[in-house]
Amino acid sequence: MDFLINTILKLGKVDRRWIFLIIAFVVLIPLLFPLSLPIRATATTQLVYDAVEKLPHGSKVLLSCEYGPSTKPEIHPMVISFLKHCFRNGHKVYVTCLWPDGQFLADEALDEVANNEFQLTYGIDYVMLGFRPGNEAVVKGIVSDLRKVYTIDSRGTKITEIPMMDGITKFEDFDFLFSGSAGYPGTIEWVQYAVDQTNIPMSTGTTSIQVNEVMPYVQAGQVQGILAGMPGAAEYENLIGSPGIGTSGMDAQSVAHLVIVLFIVLGNLGYFIERNREKKQRGY
Amino acid sequence: MNFEIFGAWLAVFFTLAIFSFLYRDNSFYKITEHLFVGVSAGYWMSMFFWTQIQPNLYGRLWPSKEYSESGIWYRIYDGLSIFLGSIFPEGGIDKGHDLNLFYLIPLALGVMMLLSLFKSFGWMARWGIAYTVGMAAGLRAYGYLNSNILSQVKATIIPIFDPDLPFFSLLENSHFNNFIIFIGTLTGLLYFYFSKEQKGTFGRITRIGIYFLMISFGASFGFAVMGRISLLIGRFVELITYSSDDYYHASYWVLLVMVILLIYNAYNEKASAE
Repeated sequence: MDFLINTILKLGKVDRRWIFLIIAFVVLIPLLFPLSLPIRATATTQLVYDAVEKLPHGSKVLLSCEYGPSTKPEIHPMVISFLKHCFRNGHKVYVTCLWPDGQFLADEALDEVANNEFQLTYGIDYVMLGFRPGNEAVVKGIVSDLRKVYTIDSRGTKITEIPMMDGITKFEDFDFLFSGSAGYPGTIEWVQYAVDQTNIPMSTGTTSIQVNEVMPYVQAGQVQGILAGMPGAAEYENLIGSPGIGTSGMDAQSVAHLVIVLFIVLGNLGYFIERNREKKQRGY
Repeated sequence: MNFEIFGAWLAVFFTLAIFSFLYRDNSFYKITEHLFVGVSAGYWMSMFFWTQIQPNLYGRLWPSKEYSESGIWYRIYDGLSIFLGSIFPEGGIDKGHDLNLFYLIPLALGVMMLLSLFKSFGWMARWGIAYTVGMAAGLRAYGYLNSNILSQVKATIIPIFDPDLPFFSLLENSHFNNFIIFIGTLTGLLYFYFSKEQKGTFGRITRIGIYFLMISFGASFGFAVMGRISLLIGRFVELITYSSDDYYHASYWVLLVMVILLIYNAYNEKASAE
């Protein structure tokens, strides 16, 4: 017993670099040798899937990309899966970006899905409106008059010359909004300045860190479902039957979480043992 | 060597350089950190200029559809065009806008903000800042009131004992879950009531509020850990991709060279300390 207690106490004093190394191995090994752990959709992911399924064929879907390279592992798989889901159901996709970096990542996703996988036509099946600076002012602008904010698309083509922009002048002309959001401006700004004022249905995919912040809007019915971080992306990939980057990362995610929980338990045990010893030494 | 392979080697170098900070602060990390800040600032600035200032500001001040060589307004434009042809192309800016001279106001406010670089004109920047702050405050006030206060309050007004609901369900609406929402909201809010000392019965109630807050912070911490691990997975997936034959085993070579240089540096430092 004493040996076990001493080992736990020693572990508590270990150089933090050993912990970094252990986490690195724990993440790396399942990526090299997948365990194929089962993935089941949570209720919030199912809500996103159902919301897209409910849309009639040919609906006009606005996809807003608010993420950058640093949050690509979490949001990019969601955007790719969402595009696949929309194109498979025959929807028209309009892409906007509130983050400048979102534009080239959205371009990458469109190239992969719209061009390579579905061979769709730009301007007829999808359009990349691009980034506009101004944060919530851009959202507000899209709600009141989209054509004041966007006179040209990201390729420099005039909006008036793009066939699928016919009849699109404001946010209410869209049937659905999906925001792939990694922070400000993002999902919350879309809820505040667009969705709550127009009642256009909206779903979102966010980074794990944002989930707690966005969840109240989901529970209040302001947002229809949320893809919560990489697990949300994996669940959505599973629902649309197209495993991707999200799914392949889930084994590593699960094993890493187990190890972190183990560290937390050991750290707490060490803390309580030390506290008890100190109490005994002081004689109370 | 094509650009894709070169890009892959750079990506591997920068990723491993950032990871090297976990060992300790070093030159690789510093180089990468400075480059990242510089490249980000440059990218953002060019993006802002070419997506907003050039098409939406200059495009409204000198639209091509109203271009005339004889007009004094477009003579200024032609003068600018001689020096900055890519920003002010010949014949006006064709971005689908009409001429709108009201946009001289944001242009002036923008220039005034830049004048903060000069000490004697620094006061002028306040006008631009005042406009931005006022606009943002006005814009946000309504959004927050409607979405964060009214809608959230409405969402907590739920029937605790709805006959159509089951008594208990973990994920769906139920009497039990509604009761938890009611107690959590009430005790959580009472914890932030500071006009009465939190002791006795009131203290016990606010203590329940603290437990709810702690659970919420715990969930936030869990999600934060999950997010960080996801980012690590993203980098590792790329490192694994770039370790393949197609990229000349970039990950292995860069890692090897970096480890050797860090060991050499540590050895030198130890020797000079002795």
